[in-house]
Amino acid sequence: MAFRRLVTLFALAILIVSGFAAPSLRARADLPERAVVSTEWLAARLDDPKVRVVEVSVVPGVFERGHIPGAVNFVWHTDLVDPVIRDIASPEAFQKLARAAGINNDTTVVLYGDNNNWFAAWGAWIFTIYGHEDVRLLDGGRAKWERENRPLSVRPASHPEGNFTAKPARREIRAFLPDVLAVVKGEAEGVIVDIRSPAEYEGRIFAPEGFQELAIRAGHIPTAVNVPWGRAVKEDGTFKSVEELRQLYASVGVDGSKKVYVYCRIGERSSHTWFVLSKILGYDVAQYDGSWTEWGNAVGVPIENPAGTVWGRQ
Amino acid sequence: MTETTLGGGAQAASTSLNNPKVAAAVRIGLAWLIFGALLALAFSLHETPGRGAAASLSLLIGVALGVIFQRGRFCFFCILRDFIEHRNSSGMFAILSALAVGGIGYVIVFGAFMPNPSGQGLPPDAHIGPVSWVLVAGGGAFGLGMALSGACISGHLYRLGEGYTRAPFALFGSLLGFGVGFLTWHTLYVETISTAPIAWLPKTLGYGGSLAVHLAALSALACLLLRYLPELPAQAGGKITWQKLYQTVFVARWNPLVTGALVGLVGTFAYFRVAPLGVTSQLGSLTRTALNGAGLLADRLPGLDTFAGCATRVVHTVTNNGLLIGSLVAGSLAIALFTNRFQLSRLTLRGALTALLGGALMGWGAMVSLGCTVGTLLSGISAFALSGWVFGGAVFAGVWLGIKLRLPE
Repeated sequence: MAFRRLVTLFALAILIVSGFAAPSLRARADLPERAVVSTEWLAARLDDPKVRVVEVSVVPGVFERGHIPGAVNFVWHTDLVDPVIRDIASPEAFQKLARAAGINNDTTVVLYGDNNNWFAAWGAWIFTIYGHEDVRLLDGGRAKWERENRPLSVRPASHPEGNFTAKPARREIRAFLPDVLAVVKGEAEGVIVDIRSPAEYEGRIFAPEGFQELAIRAGHIPTAVNVPWGRAVKEDGTFKSVEELRQLYASVGVDGSKKVYVYCRIGERSSHTWFVLSKILGYDVAQYDGSWTEWGNAVGVPIENPAGTVWGRQ
Repeated sequence: MTETTLGGGAQAASTSLNNPKVAAAVRIGLAWLIFGALLALAFSLHETPGRGAAASLSLLIGVALGVIFQRGRFCFFCILRDFIEHRNSSGMFAILSALAVGGIGYVIVFGAFMPNPSGQGLPPDAHIGPVSWVLVAGGGAFGLGMALSGACISGHLYRLGEGYTRAPFALFGSLLGFGVGFLTWHTLYVETISTAPIAWLPKTLGYGGSLAVHLAALSALACLLLRYLPELPAQAGGKITWQKLYQTVFVARWNPLVTGALVGLVGTFAYFRVAPLGVTSQLGSLTRTALNGAGLLADRLPGLDTFAGCATRVVHTVTNNGLLIGSLVAGSLAIALFTNRFQLSRLTLRGALTALLGGALMGWGAMVSLGCTVGTLLSGISAFALSGWVFGGAVFAGVWLGIKLRLPE
C-alpha cells in the first residue's frame, strides 16, 4: 500500500512540476487569443489555410533573407502609407494588396515584424480601419521567433487570390489634428497618451537618438500623459498580462471610461499602444497618426514644453 | 614539395630563419595559426550578442575571397594591364566567368527576394546605382588611380597579404580620396545624381530575358577576347596523384575560369545571406566618421544614405564589411605564407607617393560611384545594373589611359 501511495504521489509531483516547467507549450492564457498569438500557437498553424501570416519589417532585406514559412511581405513605406499625400493606404490599394496576399474576409491575419512589432501594429491598425475583424499580433514579434530557433524560409509564398473587401474606413479609430485639438480645448471628452520617451515628452530633445529632427518645436500636446510604449511589454518583448496592463494605464487615468487618443512621432510606435489599449484591453481608442511631426510643426497650435528647448537657439 | 617537409635531423637544432627548413616550418605554422584564429573568431562572433551569423559569415566570406584572389591572382589592374600592354586576355576570362556565374546566382536569389521584378521598387540592397557623368568620371578616376597605384582597392587588400609594401599607402590614400568625395558629394548630388536614372534590366526584360542578354553580352566579349589568349602549355595526361593535386591547388596559379566562377559563387552567397560584395564601405565609413568628428562633415549627407551600394555611415565599431576586408587581408596572408608567395616588396619613395596619389583617386572614384571594382562593377553587373557596365567601361578607359601615359612606371 505504502509503495502504491508513493508511486501515486510521485506521479502527481511530476504532473505538477511539468505543468509549471512547461508553461510555454501552452498558448498564453493571460491575453485574449483573439488579439495576441504565441509563437507556439502560430507554429502549429502554419499550414492552416484560414490563417495568413504577414510580415511588416522596415529594415530592407530582413523579410527576403528569411521569414516565417508562408508569410507574405507588406512594405510599410509603400504598401501601408500613401507617401504623396501623407495618408494611410487608400482602400482600393489596400484591398488589392490584401487580396494578392490571399486574404479573405474571414481569414485570421497574424502580423509580425522587426523593431518590436511597431510596424506590424501599424498594419493591424490599417486592417482594422478597413473593417477586417480577425487581426492578431505575434507575441514577441520576429525577435522571439528567431530566438526560439524556429524555422525561417526564403521561398516566396504564393497564395490563391483572396476576396477581402475593404469596408469604408472606420473613422472612429483614427484621429486628425482638429479631433485632438477639441480634446485639448475641452470641447470633446477624452484623454491623450503620449507614448514617446520622457526626454521627448518633456521637450529636452526633438527626436530619439539617431533620428532626424522633423519637428521645429519640442514638448508634447497639452494635457497628454506620458506612458512610453515599451512599458507595455516585458523584457523579452512579449506583452504584459491584461491585469498588469490595466493597472499601468489606470495609474495615469486611462481606464476606458473616456475615449483615448494615442500619438508618437510618426505614428509607428503609437500603433503598438493603440493595439494594447484597443485590442487587448478593449478600450475606445483612436490613433493620431499625424503625431508630433504634424502637431509640433502646426502653426498656432498650443503645446506644453516643460524643458523650454527652442529649436535653433544655442 | 621538399620545402613543405617538416622536421629534419641534425639541422633542426638550428633556429636560424636562414635555414630553409626552419623558415618553411615557421611559415606554415603561421599560416595554420592565422587560419585557426580566423575560424575561432568566426565561431565566437556567431555567439556574440548583436553580431551573430551575418558577422561570422562576413568574416568567412572575406577569408574565401582572400584565398581565391591570391591563388587566382584576381587583381583587376593586373588583368587589364596584361590585356592592354601584353595583349594577353587570359585574366579577362576570370572577370567574365565571375560575371556569368554571378548573374546566374543573382537571378536565383532575385527570384526568391522579389518574385515580380516589374513591380515598384528594386530588390533589397542590390547594388543598382544612378547612371550619370559622375559615374563615368568616378570610374575614370578609379582606373587612373589603379594604374598609378598598381592595383584596385580589392587588389591592394589581397596584395597587402602578399607583402606588397605600396598597398598601405594606396589604402591610406583611398581614405583621403573618400574625404574629398564626401566634401564634393552635396554639389554632385544636387546638380546631377539626384535626377540621374537608375536602370535595372529585369524591370523591362524580366529575369529570364535579362540573364539571356547578360550571358549573350559576356559571350560576345569572350569571343572578341579569344584571339588574345596565349598558347596553353601541353597538358600531361595520366592519373591524378596527390602530388598533382597539391601542385594544382597550392603551387600553380588557379585557372582563370575556375577563379572567376568561385568569385561569382561567393558573390551570390554573400548577397543571399548578408549583403552584396563590396570592400569600400568600412573604409569610407572610417573617413566619414573622422570628418564628422572633426566637425568638417554634416551628420547627414542628403541622398547618399538612400542609395543601395557600399553604404558609408558614421560608425564607431567594426562593421560586417570591416570584418570582411580584415579577413580578406588575413586570408590572403595565410595562403601566401602557406604557398611561399609572401615576400615584402622593395619600397621606393616614388612608389609610395604614387600609391598614395593613386589611392586618393580611387577613393574619390569609389565614393561618388558608390563602390569600386567589386561593389559597383562585380556586384552591379551581376545584379543586371546598367551602372555596373558604365562604371566598368569607365574603369577600363581610365586604366588604358593610365598605361598609355606610362603611369605605372
